[in-house]
Amino acid sequence: MSRVTNLKISRAHLTSRVKQTMVAILSVTFGISMYIFMNGFMTGVNDTQTELAFSTLAHIHIYNDLPEDNTNLLQKKYGDDKLVNLRNAKVIQYTEGIKNSAKIIAAIEDHPAITGITPQVNVNVFFRNGATKLNGVLSGIDVNQESVLFGTEKYITQGSWRSLEDRGDGVVLGAGLAAKLSLTLDDNVTVITADGVSRNFKVIGIIKTTIGGVDNAKGYVRISSARQLISKNQGYVTDIQINIKNFNEATKVATQLAPKVAYKVESWNESNGQLQAGNDLRNIIAVAVSLTILLVAGFGIFNIMNMTVNEKIKEIAILKAMGFDGTDIIQIFLVQSVIIGVIGGIVGIIFGYLVSVLVSFIPFRVATLDTLPMVYDPQDYILAFIFGLITTFVAGYLPAKKASQVDPVEIIRG
Amino acid sequence: MNEEIALSARAISKYFHEPETFQVLKDISFDVKKGEFLSMIGKSGSGKSTLLYLLSTMDTDYTGEITINGECLTGRTQNQLAAFRNAHIGFVFQFHYLLPEFTALDNVMLPALKLGKKSQEEIREDAYSNLKMLGLEAQAMKQSNKLSGGQQQRVAIARALINQPAVIMGDEPTGNLDSKNTDIVFEIFRQLAAERGQTIIAVTHDDEFAQKSDRILELGDGRLLN
Ligand SMILES: Nc1ncnc2c1ncn2[C@@H]1O[C@H](COP(=O)(O)OP(=O)(O)OP(=O)(O)O)[C@@H](O)[C@H]1O
Ligand SMILES: [Mg+2]
Repeated sequence: MSRVTNLKISRAHLTSRVKQTMVAILSVTFGISMYIFMNGFMTGVNDTQTELAFSTLAHIHIYNDLPEDNTNLLQKKYGDDKLVNLRNAKVIQYTEGIKNSAKIIAAIEDHPAITGITPQVNVNVFFRNGATKLNGVLSGIDVNQESVLFGTEKYITQGSWRSLEDRGDGVVLGAGLAAKLSLTLDDNVTVITADGVSRNFKVIGIIKTTIGGVDNAKGYVRISSARQLISKNQGYVTDIQINIKNFNEATKVATQLAPKVAYKVESWNESNGQLQAGNDLRNIIAVAVSLTILLVAGFGIFNIMNMTVNEKIKEIAILKAMGFDGTDIIQIFLVQSVIIGVIGGIVGIIFGYLVSVLVSFIPFRVATLDTLPMVYDPQDYILAFIFGLITTFVAGYLPAKKASQVDPVEIIRG
Repeated sequence: MNEEIALSARAISKYFHEPETFQVLKDISFDVKKGEFLSMIGKSGSGKSTLLYLLSTMDTDYTGEITINGECLTGRTQNQLAAFRNAHIGFVFQFHYLLPEFTALDNVMLPALKLGKKSQEEIREDAYSNLKMLGLEAQAMKQSNKLSGGQQQRVAIARALINQPAVIMGDEPTGNLDSKNTDIVFEIFRQLAAERGQTIIAVTHDDEFAQKSDRILELGDGRLLN
């Protein structure tokens, strides 16, 4: 019964100063909707960024690492207590690339996390058309698997990706590279390797990914054509690219695969620390900004509740004189801020969602995007609500505590 | 009037330390019988209000001992005292303090709702009959800050009576009332004391009011004079 009475008093306080209550509710609404919007937007940006990166980057990469530091092999043999002098050291021969790719692929393809494997023969070459000569990478690929892993096919702007399968002399060129070489569909381009071997290819497709490394420097050919070009036999590859179900587990899967493979097994976050760092930093910014806004909202509520307590100090004294105890008084005032928090939270969630939807329609034609990216994660909405409630609870508790400690005699004496 | 003791004060002393230490109440002892209507008088500044705050258990900073209804209240915690006040003490202040957002009726109901011994319906009926007794039945549904000063004072009295407290204390409870309403309040107090055995302790500057009561306690310079 006394709880009902306390609620009734809380409600009377809230409704007797509608303006202040509205301001308090709005500040919570603002904080929570900003939290939702910021996190949805940042996650959207991160996802776009990652997706773009994975259009050329595999989750796990197997390759033949260059030999380690071989400048002074003899020193290793004789130990540090002997001085070894070696001049003009040269590596005379080491194995490049991966010899028996089929065996390696067979050894790892059973791993349950793996969703796709594709072999590549990447060769540094010059692309030449007439007098123009540009250096770049010729990528010999498995036409089907490459597209499964990287969605390469969907970045084709002219020609066709699939025709690589039929034409051993066909090449798909990056859009920037083609433009610099003044090449269009069906033109011929000469490819020259470091060993001086040259061969003509026909441009059968143009690709545009917005990734500079691809658009300005890369050509795709069938893997067998690339092997031919550098005189390697069947089974030779330079890289094996692997995609897994959850790219966040790449490092874990890489360490599981490493013992089965005699070559370097590297996860994407190992080779692209900046991607992960960028994601983490954006998430931190989003949380920091939105929590700051919530904190400011908290100060607003603290202020308003403090004013209410001061305004109602005579009523508090009289309630205490009538036998309402400290707990009742805390309840009366805390309920007010919790009501503000709950209403502000619900409105904030709705408002945050609306703002997110609105922003997701803003045109933003960069890379693969048409509009600003946005992600709707229920967890953000729940967390925003919880943070909002915690803020209002803390902000309301302090003034309520103060109210409960009012000495009625001091107030009534006047 | 029976001989049961409703309230007893033993060797009450109190000091104020601000702005300088001085003894406002000096070794005050007295008993009030159940159903007695007591007036407390004395010059302004003699310590009447201060003593009343002690007796009402709101102020606990004193030496001595206060017993109400056989329960020694000295040394209890604030929350215990709040519960005790709610059930056993009605207080009317020099200035009427009502919750301005609530109707007169709601204000009167508050202490009973807090006590929680009766149903809301019963409490509403009690509150209404209290208001009627004080000539306020027409004002029951008015918001309390829309009432005149005297009306508010009477609502405050009706509120003090709602839990049928053993002791009703008033600090100049008729200070804001005209002589007609003062007479009504006096008559109600007299009836409550005589018929329901409730004890009344009223601080007053109204000599006529004091003379008509059962007993007068006079304070002078922090001491009991009679
Ligand atoms: N909080 C306080 N701090 C210091 N001195 C106080 C305080 N409250 C009251 N006094 C002093 O205590 C004395 C008694 O005050 P009290 O209010 O009890 O007088 P009173 O008899 O009720 O007077 P009145 O008839 O004018 O209401 C006065 O001298 C007053 O100045
Ligand atoms: Mg006084």
